[in-house]
Amino acid sequence: MKLAPVDYFILFLYFAFVLGIGWRLRKKISTSGDFLLSGHGVPVWITSLAFIAANLGAQELIGMSASGAKYGIMTAHFYWIGAIPAILFMGLFMMPFYHSSKARSVPEYLKMRFDEKTRTFNACTFAVMTVFSSGISMYALGLLLQLVLGWDFSTSVLCSAAIVLAYTFLGGLTSAIYNEVLQFLLIVAGFAPLALMSVVKSGGWAGIQSRVAPVMTHAWKYMGSASENPMGVGLFSMVAGLGFVLSFGYWCTNFLVVQRAMAADSMSAARRTPLIGALPKMFLPFVVILPGIAALALSKMNLGYDLPMKDGGYDYNQVLTTLMAKFYPAGMLGVGLTGLMASFMSGMAGNVTAFNTVWTYDIYQTHIKPGAPDVHYLKVGRITTIAGVVLSIGAAYYARQYSNIMDLLQLVFGVVNAPLFATFVLGMFWKRTTANGAFVGLITGTGAAVATLCLTVAEGKGGWFGHAYSFSSAMAQNFWIAIIAWTTCFVVTIAISMMGQPRPDREMEGLVYGLTKVPHDATAKWYQRPAPLAVLVIVLVVILNIWFA
Amino acid sequence: MLDLRLPSGLFFALLGVILLGMGIFVPDYHRAVLTEANVNLYCGAGMTAFGAFLLVMAWRAGRSHS
Repeated sequence: MKLAPVDYFILFLYFAFVLGIGWRLRKKISTSGDFLLSGHGVPVWITSLAFIAANLGAQELIGMSASGAKYGIMTAHFYWIGAIPAILFMGLFMMPFYHSSKARSVPEYLKMRFDEKTRTFNACTFAVMTVFSSGISMYALGLLLQLVLGWDFSTSVLCSAAIVLAYTFLGGLTSAIYNEVLQFLLIVAGFAPLALMSVVKSGGWAGIQSRVAPVMTHAWKYMGSASENPMGVGLFSMVAGLGFVLSFGYWCTNFLVVQRAMAADSMSAARRTPLIGALPKMFLPFVVILPGIAALALSKMNLGYDLPMKDGGYDYNQVLTTLMAKFYPAGMLGVGLTGLMASFMSGMAGNVTAFNTVWTYDIYQTHIKPGAPDVHYLKVGRITTIAGVVLSIGAAYYARQYSNIMDLLQLVFGVVNAPLFATFVLGMFWKRTTANGAFVGLITGTGAAVATLCLTVAEGKGGWFGHAYSFSSAMAQNFWIAIIAWTTCFVVTIAISMMGQPRPDREMEGLVYGLTKVPHDATAKWYQRPAPLAVLVIVLVVILNIWFA
Repeated sequence: MLDLRLPSGLFFALLGVILLGMGIFVPDYHRAVLTEANVNLYCGAGMTAFGAFLLVMAWRAGRSHS
């Protein structure tokens, strides 16, 4: 793929705008709360789009089109059965407790509801996870740019990291959130035309259906047994593993996304943030997955388009970029490439801003230097931003060195959130849950996840301590690990809690269901209330599921 | 506080004008092989319109504010 001067110009124009937004917002920062929490004053349409954009990293963009070509429309399960129900649950049922607790972070809620040890455990695993996630994403982008454009790995990684650092350092969370919205719009503008053109070229949805195997164009029809579909996943593990445990674990407890909703200016806005975000989210498969399926159809039409190859097999990760090269002229190609850069930056800035808040408030202020004046924590927050970016770069080079280890780490990170969701469900909705119950449950749940990973084999990987079971695919293994981890944590937490003394009700006001006042804004218009919005989202997502069943 | 519609609108309007210009004046520059359409022209028109829409929204909000 060869770029023209105009493509570079568009890329630099984008860099100038993101840095300009950071520069304009720098004056707003006078306390650590402004820097790390946005001062809880961001308009709801902005937090909603940022909520979706922080999750829409380069890996998602590249990975979803790759999965589209590999697994077909089943990939949309990550959205229609995965993300959307979890996002609804978060907005309707969990946000009231996050908001009324006045917690500054997810780990801090755990401290208020339970105790210090659960918070510290969560803060540490989360901090490590964010650094590695942004490092892996940086590695994926550097590798792709090297492969497709011949850019030097180090130059592209260091330059893009430097820009993210500059705007998050200047304007903190507000700058990250504002830029995420611009990035989200750019990603859609850069890739929606590609989706449209590739589908039209392959003869519309009907044309695609006539050219690829039926299993690629049905989301539900072949879910009966794991052997019938290319993902190798059965109905139960899909619904319980992905739809329930993994998605709820990610969207309801991962501070990276929860932080965006917390930045909204009121309880109602915080609850509506995920619900409004769910609307564009459910249509994203048409932008990110559809080009992958269309690419598969196009490769069978003798038009001169072939699926990219590497080492004798298909290299699905290059599907998106090879399509861009075939459909976009100079100019629009620059927009597409800038969209790819934007997705990387929004993902990385999301990780860095969540990392610096958790480090500053949950680790530094709690364990290293409590009771210092606020200006000190503002300074620590800024220094942590630099440290977070430097650590991410380190993780990217580590990933480059040991790419196999990264596969494993990703699998482990995938299940860190799974037991945590059991802790939150019990903590928020069952006031009998005790601090010790939560902590022991969380540790054993995480342990159960690691044990399952070490004792089972999928696609020739895993089984380091023994070979108790073989899964039909790595994805099925991942889903089952999550189910086992969640169930273990849930059962152990209840058992230990029953043995201990519950906390008095008055200590848990604003933290638990039944002891928290949720304002009913019956006078507001329907689209300003969470419940009607949720109904709208449910109706639309059911229609999508049936349409592509 | 910065109205985000202002910089976003400006960005998309600029992007749109660049693409429109390419679509009108050099429609065959680095053509893509799989499509006959003037991609830059249509995408440029869409982005200019979107950018202008955001700018108008920001301008109206600014006026009612002051």
